[in-house]
Amino acid sequence: MTTQLSAFRQDALREIGNIGLGGAVTALSDMTGVLFTLEVPEVLELTTSQLHIVCPTEECLMVGTIARVEGDWQGEGAFLFPWESAQVLWRILTGNAPADLGELNELYESVIREVANIMLGNFLTAIAQMTQFELHMEPPAFAADMAAALLSSLMVEALYGQRELLTIETRFSVPDQHFEGFFLYLPDTGSLQKLFDALGI
Amino acid sequence: MLQVVKAEVLLAGMGEIKTARGAGVLGCIGLGSCVGTLLYNPATASAALAHVMLPEPNGAELIDMPGKYATTAMPALLEALGTSYAGRLKALLIGGAEVFQNRTNTLRIGARNVEKLHYLLQTYRIPIVFEDTGGHYGRSFEFDLTTGQLSLRMVGWNVPNTRSEL
Repeated sequence: MTTQLSAFRQDALREIGNIGLGGAVTALSDMTGVLFTLEVPEVLELTTSQLHIVCPTEECLMVGTIARVEGDWQGEGAFLFPWESAQVLWRILTGNAPADLGELNELYESVIREVANIMLGNFLTAIAQMTQFELHMEPPAFAADMAAALLSSLMVEALYGQRELLTIETRFSVPDQHFEGFFLYLPDTGSLQKLFDALGI
Repeated sequence: MLQVVKAEVLLAGMGEIKTARGAGVLGCIGLGSCVGTLLYNPATASAALAHVMLPEPNGAELIDMPGKYATTAMPALLEALGTSYAGRLKALLIGGAEVFQNRTNTLRIGARNVEKLHYLLQTYRIPIVFEDTGGHYGRSFEFDLTTGQLSLRMVGWNVPNTRSEL
């Protein structure tokens, strides 16, 4: 379902993304001792998401998590990293990284899920503070697979009619290292209006 | 030394339909919950491939790409093959996975796509000669019309050990 948002509301969403992710990225930096920097979020139609810029081919390996958010504001929070970036993150957090998918194990998987939990948790806390919403996040689901498979699966959900066709997409990175991660928030149909009502815009 | 010259692969992107006659290679890249739906006529070595995204349209929307939905793709594939008689056709289905494992509150789109296609193929009485669907991993594939051979590519973490190559 396509939502035509006014420029004002788009700005509001960007700001929310900024505030929400700012705290999350700080949390990640504190946890790792490495400086993560955040780019200004974009509010994008899911079908024209910029993610393909990081992952040059449709088959290039991507690591991702997605977690259900329930409560007063419903949707899905997703984190996506190209494989090489996930390796950088693993090295920072565990001192080691799997060389290829064959070496990926439950420990590495749980590290990524933990990062996702921390960041999504921070994001939702910021939302809750702004809106007084009660929010609850489910444990994240994990994938390491072709970029097109991950992204198309998310896009198709929007087209199915259950999610808004747009995302709040933020890129965060580490200077001097080849790390790029993406956070996407995919609101359920109707939840954006709820957010705007709660914020009085 | 024998040099193998690979025919260029005609790729069906999301919602697209591609056809080939006599020779050629049809394929899809990175199928997640989408299903590559290929109808093949071995007698004429012609095939049509739809990259199906959803089971059916959502009410009154404009169908800009018939390959997008299972219900609109089927008649479009038959039309592309220039036949309304499905008698000699064979079907190949690839995809329809749930790439993120253990999702809460999943919409099951991959499974729904596969269910709808099974139902439609049964209605048209087109036998499925090859199927690799479901599971928790993405797939790419190529189908060579000349040889009738399909090659699958799966790289995901959740690919079961028994099928890391095909």
